[in-house]
Amino acid sequence: MSSSAVVSLEQTAAHLASIVGEEHTHLSGQTISAYPANASEIAEVLRFADSAGLAVTPTGGGTKLGWGNSVAAPILLGLGRMAALREHSWHDMTCTVEAGCAWNVMQAQLALHGQMVAVDPLWPDRATAGGIVSTNDGGALRLRYGSLRDLILGMTVVLAEGSITKSGGKVVKNCAGYDLPKLMTGGFGTLAVIASVNFRLHPLEKHARAWTATAPDPAELRAPLHALLDSQMIPCSAQLRMGPQECALDVRVAAVPECLREHEVRLQQIFAPVALAEPDPSVWRARESLFAQPGALVLKVTLLPADLCSIAAELRQQAAKDQIELAIVAQAFGLMTVALTAPPDAAFLFVERLRARLRPSGGSVVALQVPDSLRGRLEVWDCQSNALPLMREIKRRFDPNRILNPGRFVGGI
Amino acid sequence: MLTPSQIDEFRAAVDPDGIITLKSQLQTYECDGLTNLRALPGIVVLPRSAREVQAVVRICARHKIPFVSRGSGTGLSGGALPAEGGVLIALTRMNRILQVDIPNRFAVVEPGVFNSQVSQRVASSGYFYAPDPSSQPVCTIGGNVAENAGGAHCLKYGFTATHTLGLEVVLPNGELVSFGSPAPDASGYDLTGVFIGSEGTLGVVTKITLRIVKRPEAVQTLLAAFDSPQAAGQTVSEIIAAGMLPSALEIMDTLAIEAAEAAVHAHYPRCGGLLLVELDGPASEVAALMPEVRAICLANGAGEIRLAQSDEERALVWKGRKAAFAAVGRISPSYIVQDGVIPRTALHEVLAEIGRMAAEAGLRVANVFHAGDGNLHPLVLYDRAIAGQEETALDLSYRILRLCVDRGGSITGEHGVGKEKQEALGYMFAEPDLDAMQRVRCAFDPEKIANPGKIFPRLHLCAEQAGPPTAHPLETPISAEAPS
Repeated sequence: MSSSAVVSLEQTAAHLASIVGEEHTHLSGQTISAYPANASEIAEVLRFADSAGLAVTPTGGGTKLGWGNSVAAPILLGLGRMAALREHSWHDMTCTVEAGCAWNVMQAQLALHGQMVAVDPLWPDRATAGGIVSTNDGGALRLRYGSLRDLILGMTVVLAEGSITKSGGKVVKNCAGYDLPKLMTGGFGTLAVIASVNFRLHPLEKHARAWTATAPDPAELRAPLHALLDSQMIPCSAQLRMGPQECALDVRVAAVPECLREHEVRLQQIFAPVALAEPDPSVWRARESLFAQPGALVLKVTLLPADLCSIAAELRQQAAKDQIELAIVAQAFGLMTVALTAPPDAAFLFVERLRARLRPSGGSVVALQVPDSLRGRLEVWDCQSNALPLMREIKRRFDPNRILNPGRFVGGI
Repeated sequence: MLTPSQIDEFRAAVDPDGIITLKSQLQTYECDGLTNLRALPGIVVLPRSAREVQAVVRICARHKIPFVSRGSGTGLSGGALPAEGGVLIALTRMNRILQVDIPNRFAVVEPGVFNSQVSQRVASSGYFYAPDPSSQPVCTIGGNVAENAGGAHCLKYGFTATHTLGLEVVLPNGELVSFGSPAPDASGYDLTGVFIGSEGTLGVVTKITLRIVKRPEAVQTLLAAFDSPQAAGQTVSEIIAAGMLPSALEIMDTLAIEAAEAAVHAHYPRCGGLLLVELDGPASEVAALMPEVRAICLANGAGEIRLAQSDEERALVWKGRKAAFAAVGRISPSYIVQDGVIPRTALHEVLAEIGRMAAEAGLRVANVFHAGDGNLHPLVLYDRAIAGQEETALDLSYRILRLCVDRGGSITGEHGVGKEKQEALGYMFAEPDLDAMQRVRCAFDPEKIANPGKIFPRLHLCAEQAGPPTAHPLETPISAEAPS
């Protein structure tokens, strides 16, 4: 089939059904969902789409399909049938998981041997390994265990023209060849379709405790947070939550039991005179609540870690002035999720101002969830990089016919 | 061969004292730490700034002259081996620490800064730079970036890639670009991540933003003597199975101990397998965990167990370990250092197999390894003066690498592929895998002038259109990838 051939929706559906099976192909409106069973079937689907010039959006649990620029792809490549934890080498503390495996399903199996992938993503019941990796999502645990990219050992991916390739490996240390998984992590499915991922594992935290300090103003938490991060304590997570009234700093520490009491004493000293309370475990899923606010614009804000509390305080003042409803959940390593509910003009201005404010120090503001009133008006991405032409060239080398999530990523990639 | 007018162009691009063309001086740069491979560059340039690097690379791009960049040349895989008659860009004069930001825990450095200098610079604030290759007093951060250098402490702390937040790079067409940022998750592809470990084939790094880490409150180092490296290896597995993450877990076998003793008198116990365990962190935590480590050692038959009693003692323990490669020169006229990685659980079997292969080849192999992450450094001992022995030794070292791949591991953990292990890379990866990597290369360097002839086993041209897809061994049959 040549790229100039016009293929009807029905013909496409029939062809996809011949690859993945009738029962795994669904036509709904202008979109065909196809659910391959393995990497070879992904390859077959992509070969067809590439030659027919049909755009493909890979998806797992579909929790973050709205992130990035909108893409109207005729083929939705669902990875839900590729949902197995294929290998768990618990003695080596590594695993290989298929892209469509829901995060919590994987974690539950790893937990049978007291292990985990040390990442706490959004909606772990539904979000899948492939989707989490593609969007580079992760929560508060990153403070201790590093970012998602640092826990990925290798990957098997399928390229646009249907080549199945692997890179990296299954061992925790490996520098043979280019580190392609780094490109795929956070690449929003624009370079290849992830078939499986090899992770490095950590032991489950057997003994952990959490504390929360509250203050009327986030600026008051700046000094204690700095002292905490500069201390000898190594918290798993440190998170700032800010609503219109409350402002709280949650700290979680895992250690041998005999040390936890000592850590508590240290924390009390750091936070004095603010008293510490034990938080509800749900605070570690506070990020999710921001996306649940109807009509909210949700932003991923990256900034220098030391600016966290002062920027939060500034934003709160600004929001009060502009009558914007604002909620923030921020991680101590310099990442904020911000939800705002406001008239479109006010929200637009808020984002533009914040971008200008953070740009000089290398920060950025990416709009993750954009209400309809701002779709098309607000630039989703915030990429000032002079390497954008190089990124486009990488895209061209991997996907010359632009079939993988075309336009979804930065700079129209 | 460079023409006189090209040499004039390079002269105009850098300081007058930043050019070397005399053959006797060029010879200083003819190899890196892999000294059996040598090539004479046509010119060496020593830029002082990114602008000068840009000017040099632009000339190379205009005339399609191959260039190789290097730091101190401590690499062990021939990654900094010059292109014969081409340009060698030595970055040793770009050696300033440009910025230190303690509240945000990062430092910005030029590529010629020595690894140890970063830690020294931030020590007074209680911080350090974690990756610690054995050559850290002299190896440069630029070289560390090229090779994704690790070291003894990367089990806990990670590699150069873990600790690099951003890069400034001169691309092979002479453009200056920036990747990453001190703030996390810059928008776009993670070009910092893919550049690290690309061994100088994607451009020349001119500035690096490094993450610095709080120095731990307490550090304890324990030596345990076992009858065999296998018993020491079993101990390592059990320490990790107990949920501990020591900052270092190192093993040396009898030959390696003998060599280290001869070189630096580290006062190691003489035994079949010496295990070094280092715990760091809050003092109470280290104090609580070290008895557990000791108990696991005893349960696995450790004879002598010794805890370093002072910083001096600890430094001596490490001096012996870090000198181990060079020390082997005391017990053998020539040696080859290899860098395979295996899953930790394959240690017992692989060591036995290496022993068998060495005996069969009639050579001795000393073993020093980062046991926690399965990174073996087999040292194949031989005598270059004996006809044919170098070939036998090389063959043995490559067969050891293939053994690592066969057991689910890798041909290199931290030394890079370079010129040395190109064929082995072809053993580890299938053609479609290498082709995917080449796409990155072609995006960065379509003319293939940056460190050409390295990493990849075969010549590859950056054709505009990809050919028809080739089947990956994974594709046929699918069931070959069955879960274990």
